[in-house]
Amino acid sequence: MMDNNFDRRDFLKVLGWGGAAVALTGCGNTSVQDGKETVVSYVEAAAYVAPGISTYFNSTCAQCEAGCSISGRVREGRVLKLEGNADSVINRGKMCGLGQAGVQHHYNPDRVREPLLRNGDKGETITWEKAYELIAQKLDGVSGDNFDFMTGTISGHLKVLLSNYMDSLASKNHFVYEAISPAVQRAANLKSYGVAMPRFHINKAKVVLSFGADFLGAWVSPVHFSQQYAQFRKGNDGQRGVLVQVESKMTLTGANADRWLVVKPGTEGVLALGVINALGVAGLSLPASVAAMVKPYDKERVSQETGVSTEHLVKLAALLKERSPSLVLLGSAAEGYAHGSQNAAAINLLNQVLGNVGKTIEAAESVPFPQIAPSLGSSAALRMVGNRLADGQTKVLFTYGVNPVFTAPKDSNFAAHMAKASFKVAFAHYLDETALQADLVLPLDSALEDWGTHVAEYQPDGVQISIQQPLMEKLHANTRGMGDVLLTLIKKTRAAEYAEFEDYYAYVRTALLQNKRQFADAGVDDDVFWNDLLSAGLVNVAGTSNKLVANLASEIRLPASEGVDAKFPLRLIPSVTANLRDGRHANQPWLQESPDPLTTIVWDSWVEIHPKKAAELGIVEGDIVEVESKSGSVKAQAYLFNGIHPDAVSIPLGRGHDAMGRYAKGFGVNPFPMLDRIFDDETGELAMHETRVRITKTSTRVIVVKDEGAAGGNQHGKKIAMSMASDAVDLSGEA
Amino acid sequence: MYRFIRFAILLMGLISANSSFAADAQLEPLTTADDLGPVVEQPIEFPHNRHAKDMGINCIYCHTYSRRGNVAGIPPMQKCIGCHQNIESVRETPRIKKLFEYWDAKKAIPWKKVHDLPDFVRFNHERHIKRFVFQQNRPVQEVCGACHGDVKEMTVARRQKSLAMGWCMSCHEKEHVVVAAGGTPIGTAAYWYAMKKPAVKADGTVVAKGPNDCSSCHY
Repeated sequence: MMDNNFDRRDFLKVLGWGGAAVALTGCGNTSVQDGKETVVSYVEAAAYVAPGISTYFNSTCAQCEAGCSISGRVREGRVLKLEGNADSVINRGKMCGLGQAGVQHHYNPDRVREPLLRNGDKGETITWEKAYELIAQKLDGVSGDNFDFMTGTISGHLKVLLSNYMDSLASKNHFVYEAISPAVQRAANLKSYGVAMPRFHINKAKVVLSFGADFLGAWVSPVHFSQQYAQFRKGNDGQRGVLVQVESKMTLTGANADRWLVVKPGTEGVLALGVINALGVAGLSLPASVAAMVKPYDKERVSQETGVSTEHLVKLAALLKERSPSLVLLGSAAEGYAHGSQNAAAINLLNQVLGNVGKTIEAAESVPFPQIAPSLGSSAALRMVGNRLADGQTKVLFTYGVNPVFTAPKDSNFAAHMAKASFKVAFAHYLDETALQADLVLPLDSALEDWGTHVAEYQPDGVQISIQQPLMEKLHANTRGMGDVLLTLIKKTRAAEYAEFEDYYAYVRTALLQNKRQFADAGVDDDVFWNDLLSAGLVNVAGTSNKLVANLASEIRLPASEGVDAKFPLRLIPSVTANLRDGRHANQPWLQESPDPLTTIVWDSWVEIHPKKAAELGIVEGDIVEVESKSGSVKAQAYLFNGIHPDAVSIPLGRGHDAMGRYAKGFGVNPFPMLDRIFDDETGELAMHETRVRITKTSTRVIVVKDEGAAGGNQHGKKIAMSMASDAVDLSGEA
Repeated sequence: MYRFIRFAILLMGLISANSSFAADAQLEPLTTADDLGPVVEQPIEFPHNRHAKDMGINCIYCHTYSRRGNVAGIPPMQKCIGCHQNIESVRETPRIKKLFEYWDAKKAIPWKKVHDLPDFVRFNHERHIKRFVFQQNRPVQEVCGACHGDVKEMTVARRQKSLAMGWCMSCHEKEHVVVAAGGTPIGTAAYWYAMKKPAVKADGTVVAKGPNDCSSCHY
């Protein structure tokens, strides 16, 4: 208005009237839609089905090896939400983010829907009949010695069927591969305790000293341990548990610790022996052989080698001596060196010296049906398969539940060797990197569409056999359950033996009914037993109990402090995050969206650098840096993080796919290929933390996409969370 | 005077701008004063009059889920076939033939939704059926008809009421006597109303209004 007489009152009047006008025009039935959407009723519905009312079915989560039991909410024939099954001793009704994302594995738009046969660079749709014919044709004349089947961890009746199938082909070449597995630990535990995976009672311990074991995140059975951790913190005898975490890069568990001690990468074993020495000095009685072994590891030497101050070392020993029982855990970080087995031996020795064996470490029971007990994976399997492919010993290769082309170090040349096999079949849910190398891709039912039984490696109480049942009808008409596929394949050579089983469901049902006596009361009707079993989703049986042995290590050889490699001065820590692990779920957007607990970064990779080191190299947050090892390199955004050793950098594993669908492809970088091929001396496992790297700044800088905001999560210098020297704190008044 | 004219022009401009904006957002004109919805074409012109008036079939016989959950539900085809496979006299009529075509192909009939509320509104049939049919013992056709109109006179359903929030609230704002004068409670179950406590009147009657808590329907 040009006129100066237009005053505030008129302005407000106009605003008010105008606003009312908007409101009035906004009223009315603008959003009730008549006859636009369709409502499609059922053709025939079961009596209990009512639209809007959910039914719940129990099954088993297949997102990791912990084998938690789940309860799926199903409405109008579609599974909508997964929760934990309250009756499971493994997860007790709880579930982790990975499990929740199970629906995205199932409904993923990039699932393979038809059998695909390679024609040049393309995959042509063929029928299942044709696919089975082709397999029979290609296997014809191939000796069992030249046939390899590479799977991930496998248990239950699928394992039985698979071993029978291998048997029918006279082949002993079933390789179980896990890119990330506690294989070094299993071997060390066998030596020290007599069992590969004992039960760890975190809730019974007063102190937990964890050498990089991320038991709240991705170690062994995180949902189970998280619940134990809650009890641990509540305390035994009113004394709240104390968690001390020792690692080179902070994990989620480390972030929860009362004391986080950063160690020079690789020196975990040295620290463990130093703690034993300090315990001896503090008055704990040590067996003579042990005392002699740890004599050279006095606190000055240990402090110098590990970077942990003598003060903290002595305090730690005092804490462990005073509060008993304690529990010392060992994670992938400590295992991941050429001397990983020695680190593990030293850490196990610490448990034995502290008297934890039999108190917070107990033997698990043996699975009463050993044929369904889990076959556990390791990275050594990758080497074996790779060598056989390279030598031309493998003519036909089948893969199921593994993605070695993505997880293998570049120097192993896995993809190139794989090409040497004359016929490769991938039983897959998605076209991942390995499936893209195959000649035939067979589409599988998702974990929520399939039948099965599972026995997890970590059994906290009794032995739980978890049932997997479909939570809804198949989404895609041409996928098949892995069990059904194996059954069809085995019927080609052993038709008579398997003729009675119409499908895998019949096979599992028969097998479980045969052992009815062991699961239920005598005389219970077959159908009643089966329905109750499916309804419960699991059955817990007593296994044969085992005793732990007390094998004190007689000799532990830890390498002397190495000099710095001038060309590659930093250590690379490839971190395992709870939501990505080895990258098998990178195509589930909820997991990509879940911020990393420590950096809060989403949908992308990063290079964690200590601020001191970053300042030295002139790197600020967001700088795209190139991290180069002898074996390869990646470029990613830098993120400054206090929770890492200044001489190390960390890149998360799991991203950097160049296949596997729209949510995985092109997001982040893959550090797996750049890992140096260094192996643990004793077990031959890939020493994932041995890789040395150098960093160079590139000329690009980006804005890091993270949840914590531009100001960052670092509270240093902001006087938000004040800290005091521990000896200045008076806790005597605390309850 | 000029001031007034400028003021009026500004106001007109604002209103017309807003109205035209809102008009573009609408897909069709506002319903007429009697709140009648448009005629919706269905794959089969189902005659409610034949079934509900001539045959006297109870609404809930087909729309079973109304007493069980949120939605009353279009019945599964099995319900239609259950009777019609035995009714020879109308077996060859065009609509029944079409029905059996769907049935033989095991193909679900894609009905068009006539009473379609926006996704942010969650209306629960069960509570209304429980209250009016089973507690207050009103005749089913009267209860269903209160919102869906006189369905027994229609073939395919046609929306008879506005279904806008204001219209729902007009019923929820009515005062119902829950305890009559003299202390006799109406119905056998307790009344519970969100947010507004029942008001006790002078003669001892207790009146209450329907739930007016936002989260009753928007949750």
